[in-house]
Amino acid sequence: MTQLNRFGIAAAAAAAMSFVSLHAAQYGGAAPARPAGQQQQQQNVPTPRTADGHPDLSGMWGGGGGGGGAVKPDEKGNLVQLTRGRPCSKQQFDLGNCAPGINFERDSGVTQRMGPEVPMYKPEFWDRVQYLDRNGTQEDPEFHCKPSGVPRMGPPAKIVQTSTELILLYGQGNTFRVIPIDGRPHDPIKSQDTTWYGDAVGKWEGDTMVIDIVGFNDESWIEWPGWFHSNNMHVIEKLTRSGNTLRWEATVEDPDVLVQPYHVEGRTLRLNPNAKATLTEDLPCEERDSQHMVTHERG
Amino acid sequence: MKRIFGLLAIVALSLAAKPAVAHHALQAEFDTAKRGEFTGTLTKFAMINPHVRWFFEVKKPDGTAATWEITGAGPQALRQNGMTRIFQVGQTLKVTYAPARDGSNTGRVVTFTFPDGRTVTMYHEDPNNPNDL
Repeated sequence: MTQLNRFGIAAAAAAAMSFVSLHAAQYGGAAPARPAGQQQQQQNVPTPRTADGHPDLSGMWGGGGGGGGAVKPDEKGNLVQLTRGRPCSKQQFDLGNCAPGINFERDSGVTQRMGPEVPMYKPEFWDRVQYLDRNGTQEDPEFHCKPSGVPRMGPPAKIVQTSTELILLYGQGNTFRVIPIDGRPHDPIKSQDTTWYGDAVGKWEGDTMVIDIVGFNDESWIEWPGWFHSNNMHVIEKLTRSGNTLRWEATVEDPDVLVQPYHVEGRTLRLNPNAKATLTEDLPCEERDSQHMVTHERG
Repeated sequence: MKRIFGLLAIVALSLAAKPAVAHHALQAEFDTAKRGEFTGTLTKFAMINPHVRWFFEVKKPDGTAATWEITGAGPQALRQNGMTRIFQVGQTLKVTYAPARDGSNTGRVVTFTFPDGRTVTMYHEDPNNPNDL
């Protein structure tokens, strides 16, 4: 291995490491990696249960937001909140003087394509996947302020559980989903509808909440690298609480375009211990950039 | 040694969370190696996703006015810092920006300078900082 290659790999590793903390704090996403002992401690707490004996999934889950720390003006009143050329280090982020990098999207493109599994499309659809990926700044529905949809939206930031419903709340786009968990089947009309979040029904399988979702449009993407789907997509989401951690998993079945089910990379969130933590109102999204883009690829 | 670096890279990359928000590739829109500058009147400050916007009216030498649109990072960082209240419509600001590659009256903010000399710096490339290379 050449010195250059070594540096490149080490730099990629360092960038990825800093990206974890940056992203978790910026978007309140998946809990950043914690020492094994602390993870274990979170899981050793007894799982709270509702009166009917099922695990209680209620709570604020995940990082809880951030956004650069408190920048204070210097003695002359000048403020500095830098966006740097590359993702900030954890130290820079903790000091509050670094925002996401100018090359954030390009840099994170590496990790976007590095999940443990890639959806296996039928041969005739790979050209389309590659086209969408290479023209992401024009084709990605999220770039045009459209909803992420299921499963790209990931796990909820807050859950409210009743005996008959699971109410999932998301920070991005002030989104909510209400999942009936009273044993009803799919609604015959809604399940033929074509929507971003589909028609969902949930049921308990042991201590795991299994949410079955159909009735999607074909506009959302499964994930970032141009992974589209048909409106015959069927998603199975699973939520499992262990102590003060929540495991989110999702499986995508789409026999129209995929040759086999695709397992979305799962995420483990920790319970936000701050009793006063609230979801922050997300601001409206207004797309004004695409008309000025001179290249279409992102990373 | 090769294996150690390979393992380090794989571990680090597999730890990386995937962004929940799709941002634009900034360098596809702006030439971040160049700088432009104007002084104009702030007509609107828009706290919107995915990037905040400042709109300006800039007087040209021939007496007519041009409209400029300057973009910054996502709104969340500015909100967390209480920075959103320091920009008032009607203020005259000097703006340094990275210009749009398509030649339009848009740019990515580098620095705002207020009439009393205060500055707000929001983008910077430091050749001595490895994060900027």
